[in-house]
Amino acid sequence: MATARPGWSRKAQYGLFFSFLAAIAGLLIGLVLLAVSFVAPKSYAAVRGAALDATAPVTGGLREVTATVSGLFSGAGDYWDAAHQNAQLKRERELMIQRIVEAKAISQENRELKAALQLRERSRTPVASGRIVGSSFSSPRRFAIFSAGSSDGVRVGMPLRSPSGLIGRVMDAGSLASRVLLVSDRASIVPARILRTGQPVISQGRGDGTVDLRPLEVGRNPFRPGDIVITSGTGGLYPPLIPIARVVRLDDDGAIARPLADPGSTSFAVVEQPYEPAAVAEEASARPEDE
Amino acid sequence: MVRAALAQRKVNQGPVSGAQYWPAISVMLASLFVVLPIVSMNGWFPNFGFLVLLAWRLLRADAFPTWWAAPLGLFNDLALGSPIGLSVAVWTAAMLVLDIADRRTQWRGYWLEWIIAAVLLLGQEAAEWRVAQIMGASLPFRSVVPPLLISVLSFPVAAWVVARIDWWRLGR
Repeated sequence: MATARPGWSRKAQYGLFFSFLAAIAGLLIGLVLLAVSFVAPKSYAAVRGAALDATAPVTGGLREVTATVSGLFSGAGDYWDAAHQNAQLKRERELMIQRIVEAKAISQENRELKAALQLRERSRTPVASGRIVGSSFSSPRRFAIFSAGSSDGVRVGMPLRSPSGLIGRVMDAGSLASRVLLVSDRASIVPARILRTGQPVISQGRGDGTVDLRPLEVGRNPFRPGDIVITSGTGGLYPPLIPIARVVRLDDDGAIARPLADPGSTSFAVVEQPYEPAAVAEEASARPEDE
Repeated sequence: MVRAALAQRKVNQGPVSGAQYWPAISVMLASLFVVLPIVSMNGWFPNFGFLVLLAWRLLRADAFPTWWAAPLGLFNDLALGSPIGLSVAVWTAAMLVLDIADRRTQWRGYWLEWIIAAVLLLGQEAAEWRVAQIMGASLPFRSVVPPLLISVLSFPVAAWVVARIDWWRLGR
C-alpha cells in the first residue's frame, strides 16, 4: 500500500516515520488527558466553559428557527376542530377553578400549620431562566445545553426545572451557556417519593430517556402504573416537591418511568438555588470523579 | 480510446486553494453537527466527526498526517462536551490501526472497508461506554448496540459525502 514505503526518497521515509512517532505521542497525550478527566475533572472547567460559549449561541439561534417553523404547523393545526376544542377547554376551566379554590384553602391551612410549628420557610427564588437549546446526541450520557451561564448567576450543581417537572442539574457553566446533566442520565440519582403514598424511592436514569425507580425499603413493589414521583429534598441537592416522572411499566422490584419534563419540547426552564448550598459544596469536594 | 485532452471538457482546472486542508476542515465541520438544535432522548445519533475521519482515511492514506487525528479529536471533545481526551485517544488509535491494516491487507473492496469501519466504530462505542462507566454511568453493554448499528449503516453515506468532497477539492 501507499504508506508501506513511499519510494526511495529518504526524506519521504523520515517524514512518514516522524508522523508515526507524532501519532504515538498524540495517543499518549490523549490517554493522559483522559486520565486527568477522571481524577480531576475540575481542571478543564474553563476550557469546557469556553467551548460551550462558542457553540451554544449558534444552537440557540437555530433553535429559534425550528421552534418558529414547528410553531407555524402546530398553530395551523389548532384551528382545526376549534369549536369542539373550545367547548372542551371551557369544561376543563370550570373544573380547574374549583380545584384552585380548594388548593388555596389547603395552602392557607398549610401556612397556618407551619406558623404554628414555627418551621423556617426557605425562599425559592429562581436564579436564571432560559431554554434548552441542544443536547448530546451521540453518546451514552444524557446532557442538554441550557441558554444561561455564569454571567446570569448559574453555578455548577444548581437544579434546573421547567413548569412540568425536574430537568436535571448544571454540570458545566460557561459564561453564556451551561451544560445540564439530565434526570435520565445514568449518573443522575435523585432522592424521591411516590406522590400517592409518600414512600421514599430512588430515581436513576437509564440513558434512553426513561428513569429507573427503586424503593428504599425492600418488600412488595409499591408502584402502580401512572404513579407520579416527586423529589423528596433528601440530600439537599434538589428542592422538594418537584414532579420528576410518571410510572409507565413495572418490573420485578421497581418501575420504569418517563420524566414529566421533556427537554425536547420544554420552552422555558428555570435554574434554582440548591436546596442546601452546603450539600453542593460537600458533594463537589467528596466526589472528585463526578464530572 | 479517446484522448484525455479531448475527453476532458474543462481545461485549466486544478485543485481548489487549500485542497490539502479540506479533509481536516470537513472532519471539524462534521464534529460541529452537534450545534444543531436536536434534543435527543436516547443519544443514538452517530459520532459524525469520527465517521467522516474514518471515511477520509479509508478513501486515502494521505488525506492528512496520522497525528492530525489528535488535535481533531480534541476539537471533537470540546464541541461534543465528552470527557476531554476520549476522542484524542480513540481517533489516534484508530489511525494507527488503519496504518497497520494498510500493511496487512492484500486487497481492498467496499465490503472489506465497511467491515474495517464497523470494527473501529465498535471500538469507539465500547471506549465511550467504558469511559461512561468509569465516570459513574454504568449502563449494560447491550445499550451500545442501537447506536452502533446506526453508525455502521450510516458509514456508506459518510463515505459517499467524503468522495464527493474529494472530487470537488481536487477539481475533477
